[in-house]
Amino acid sequence: MSLYQLNRAVYDWIRAGEVNSDAAGDGRAGFDLSRYELTDDERKAFDDKDVAAFYTMGLHEVLINRYARAAGYARDDYRKILEPFGKPEERRGRWQK
Amino acid sequence: MAEVVLAYCSSHAPMMSSAREAAPKEQREHFIGALDAIRQQARDLDVQACVFLSNEHFTNFFLENFPQICVGVGERNWGPTEEWLPIDKVWIPGHEGLANHIMRETLDNGFDPAFSHLLELDHGIMTVYYELDQDMKLPLVPIVMNCAVPPLMPVWRWYEFGKQLGAAIRSFEGLERVAVVGCGGLSHWIGNPRVGDINEEFDRWFCERLERGEIDQVLDMKDDEIELAGNGNHEMRTWVAVAGVMGGAPADVLAYEAIAPWITGMAVAQWDTGRGTARSVGNASGAAPTSPVTAGD
Repeated sequence: MSLYQLNRAVYDWIRAGEVNSDAAGDGRAGFDLSRYELTDDERKAFDDKDVAAFYTMGLHEVLINRYARAAGYARDDYRKILEPFGKPEERRGRWQK
Repeated sequence: MAEVVLAYCSSHAPMMSSAREAAPKEQREHFIGALDAIRQQARDLDVQACVFLSNEHFTNFFLENFPQICVGVGERNWGPTEEWLPIDKVWIPGHEGLANHIMRETLDNGFDPAFSHLLELDHGIMTVYYELDQDMKLPLVPIVMNCAVPPLMPVWRWYEFGKQLGAAIRSFEGLERVAVVGCGGLSHWIGNPRVGDINEEFDRWFCERLERGEIDQVLDMKDDEIELAGNGNHEMRTWVAVAGVMGGAPADVLAYEAIAPWITGMAVAQWDTGRGTARSVGNASGAAPTSPVTAGD
């Protein structure tokens, strides 16, 4: 429905499993996705733990990283999933000789 | 008046705690050895409180309200939040007097930081704080920075904020010995196809600017250029802010290692506050850390 809703759903899911000052970190089981206005594709990506779909939908990269870790993906694994979306970098920084 | 007796920056990849042994022995010993040496120096200096600058990772704030700067003014803060990070989850004592003084002074001098009476601290601060005080009892004033959600505060503004932060700390009458610590960077990518890449050329160039006292050469960097060394490289702002606290003086880069298993260019740099650096006072144990300007070139 909106990228904000998807970002918010993933953010809340991540936070539900963390050990915060007022929560023991056991809130991911039974997480209620119906509270969010998501499209069918967004809901499917969430259900399928589809990191590639999240990336193409524009989920914030900090959230992708945190989601992948929380969902059990090793970095090498999620890099392989995302690698096909990489583009060659032609710009140069001031530090490059 | 308080004196900044210790000023340094360190990378904060969570794997330095959660997967320490994954790094090659020589690299991890070099990086962690620098933090060990600083911890000993902090003990020798009898540091009374510390101010940490690190970036927000969607731990306290989300898209509804995302401050560029937030000062933790509470009597205590909690951390670390990550369930998988092998650091005890505890209440960390704050320092309300110093924190509120920083708020007042920076408000009076051109900045408008947000404040929080309870911050949740993630690996961004907790990994480095733990290496400074493994009892986690040293009073901590956290300053959380936006390095993730555009529009970001420009790099040069962080340098100016650092100058005001330094002035604020040095005008505080309630303490004598304070440490200032920046956490984050250097090059790394997260959540995108380049995760795992490290831009060693940028890292060594940046460290060289620190060692030469040439921080002015990075202050006009725009976000798209910063991102050539990774979306995580926005965290270099924490280093720039501490450079501002120290007035742009040269830093001593105690360690730099491009640690592939930690997906980050991992560095530790320390400024001489007049009390020497961990290297100059002889705390850097074993093989002295080598300069990033020459090491590996």
